[in-house]
Amino acid sequence: MPTLLISATQFLVGQNASEIVRKADEMMRGEKSSYSEMTMRIVRPKWERSLSFKSWSKGTELSLVYITSPAREKGQAFLKINREMWSWNPTINRTVKLPPSMLSQGWMGSDFTNDDLLNQRSIVVDYNHTISGEEQIDGWDCWRITLTPKPDAPVVWGKMFLWVTKKHYLILKSEYYDEEQLLVKTEMAHSIKDVDGRTIPTIYELFPAEEPGNRTIVELNAIKFNIDINDSFFSLRNLTQVK
Amino acid sequence: MAQRNLWRNKRRTAITISSIFFAVLFAVVMRSFQLGSYSLMIRNAIEQYYGYIRVQHPDFADDPSLENTFEFDQSLPETILRVPNVKAVTPRLETFALASSGNITKGVLVLGIKPEAEKQFSNPEQFIVRFTIPKLLADSSGLEPILTDEVKRILGAHAGESFTDSARLARIFDDQPVAAAQLNQILNLSRVQGRFITSNDSGVVISSRLANFLNIQVGDSLVMLSQGYQGASAAGVYPVIGIVRIPNPELDNRMVYMPLQLAQSFSNAHNLLSYMAVNLYDATDEALKVTTDSLRRTLAYTGLNVKTWQDLNRVLVQQIESDNQSGKAFLFLLYFVVFFGIFGTVIMMVHERMHEFGVLVAVGMQKIKLAITVLLEMLIMALIGVALGYLVGLPIIHYYHVHPIRLTGEMAKMMMDMGFEPLMPMAPFGSYVLWQGFSVIFMVLLACIYPARKILKLNTVTAIKR
Repeated sequence: MPTLLISATQFLVGQNASEIVRKADEMMRGEKSSYSEMTMRIVRPKWERSLSFKSWSKGTELSLVYITSPAREKGQAFLKINREMWSWNPTINRTVKLPPSMLSQGWMGSDFTNDDLLNQRSIVVDYNHTISGEEQIDGWDCWRITLTPKPDAPVVWGKMFLWVTKKHYLILKSEYYDEEQLLVKTEMAHSIKDVDGRTIPTIYELFPAEEPGNRTIVELNAIKFNIDINDSFFSLRNLTQVK
Repeated sequence: MAQRNLWRNKRRTAITISSIFFAVLFAVVMRSFQLGSYSLMIRNAIEQYYGYIRVQHPDFADDPSLENTFEFDQSLPETILRVPNVKAVTPRLETFALASSGNITKGVLVLGIKPEAEKQFSNPEQFIVRFTIPKLLADSSGLEPILTDEVKRILGAHAGESFTDSARLARIFDDQPVAAAQLNQILNLSRVQGRFITSNDSGVVISSRLANFLNIQVGDSLVMLSQGYQGASAAGVYPVIGIVRIPNPELDNRMVYMPLQLAQSFSNAHNLLSYMAVNLYDATDEALKVTTDSLRRTLAYTGLNVKTWQDLNRVLVQQIESDNQSGKAFLFLLYFVVFFGIFGTVIMMVHERMHEFGVLVAVGMQKIKLAITVLLEMLIMALIGVALGYLVGLPIIHYYHVHPIRLTGEMAKMMMDMGFEPLMPMAPFGSYVLWQGFSVIFMVLLACIYPARKILKLNTVTAIKR
């Protein structure tokens, strides 16, 4: 009888953790659709540079990104439909589908890999979630949630830790581990602000564990949630015309 | 007397001399083949692309990316050229890119070069392609009435292949004679335009196998995508100005030559270089070391690293080393066989002449003098044999040095997969030839121990009795 009780609580807690992750995921994704303007700073030991872009997304399956600065990169656009990605480059006047070999390469030279951009959705459906502790991050009370991949899930991580605030369901810190349980990268979020009626972090920082001194910082300059946007906006045709 | 002894039994002398002769001939020819193919390997990989010495950023060896490049100081090439034994120097910017044409994409090596400097260095201009067999030539209706099935088959097998001159193209027909008129027609249909890039061009020259893979001809455009300096994006469309057939198949699969400035603006690496490659007049190990040291002293002020090809290309060094060892083992085996050949004839000689030796000793000849006479006989024969071996071997070496054997079939394929030209050249005359002669004479002397001992221990009575 006691064993049954324990497994029953575990079941409840498990449900609870999944619920937390689902809510946290929705907080950032704007439930149905969103439009945002961001600046990305890529920091390397010897140099750093900035990129600005606009981004539209609908659900978890569709998104489109348009680079606005610097001049050399302006006009490039990226389209993601389900798990495929195309890029448009005005210099060569061509649309290129991302080859699988480039999945693990950094997007626009940053620490975010193309794979990160394509497979975001999977933190909700592809993992089992358990609450593994409670900690404070930047003064916010957080749950620490452990994510382990489901047996047949097509994911690259062997394990993940998420720190989610109890108050707003915001992910303030994530750690990604590979199959050998070694830390690959850490993502931090801070500067929580009220934007378009929601309270969300506006600065995200990514630290790859293997390369100390490397860092990518994304700052959210503007965001609108649940905008009215058609599926046809996310098309190869629009990829070459978006501004 | 030793000399007269030799003439007394001509057949015996001839047998001994010929066994020595063949020993020298085989040893010399085999060693020449071995050394010839090492130097070809080195030449292929080093002179035509790699360079004997490279001057580069200290971190470039561990991470050959655009981040570890250095500012191109225009006076640097002259400074390097002033160092003794430096034959040529060429500045390069090297990067990787995805090249595509139509729906086909392939990873390529982009080499930003100064065409004038490169001409003195690897001279890629000499490989510019003049003829490419069109893919559908074998089925083209214009040739239909006169093409035999065999010629069609050959054309089909070589479809898309490029050649630098008409003689090389004609060679694919090998033993299958093709009428002159027909060959001319094939040549005319295969002729391609194209030239090498100059500094001011805004186009590229690509290697022939890459062109074949991407299905690109001179005048088409090549799309290239990559990541530039400091994470910048690199993208461009460039017309193909010419095609080169690089002998090294590995390079021929993926080479794109670009004028340096164009490559720099493509990868947003303005006035940056990956390395300076240096070729030498004398590339022996000692000369290489001396030149590297003096380059290090001369360039100390720049903070750049000076590396030899052995430092940078461990794989090739090990390949050559292991091949050299197995070559030596094989040579040793050959010596072993040769030694017993000589030894056999010596034993025979001693047994045949036992009676004669006995008589000589009986009439008062000192045993030691007799032994020396026999030794002298052997030496004279050895010298004649070695001389004959050289006389026949050296022209063979010279001939195959000038006209290397071109391998065909599976063996050729294997060598090409390994990145080498399917050639088996011989090394030119060198000190190794003398060594082969010395070792054969040494073996003859070794074989002489037996008759000498036999004579010194000679029992006159039993010897004469026989």
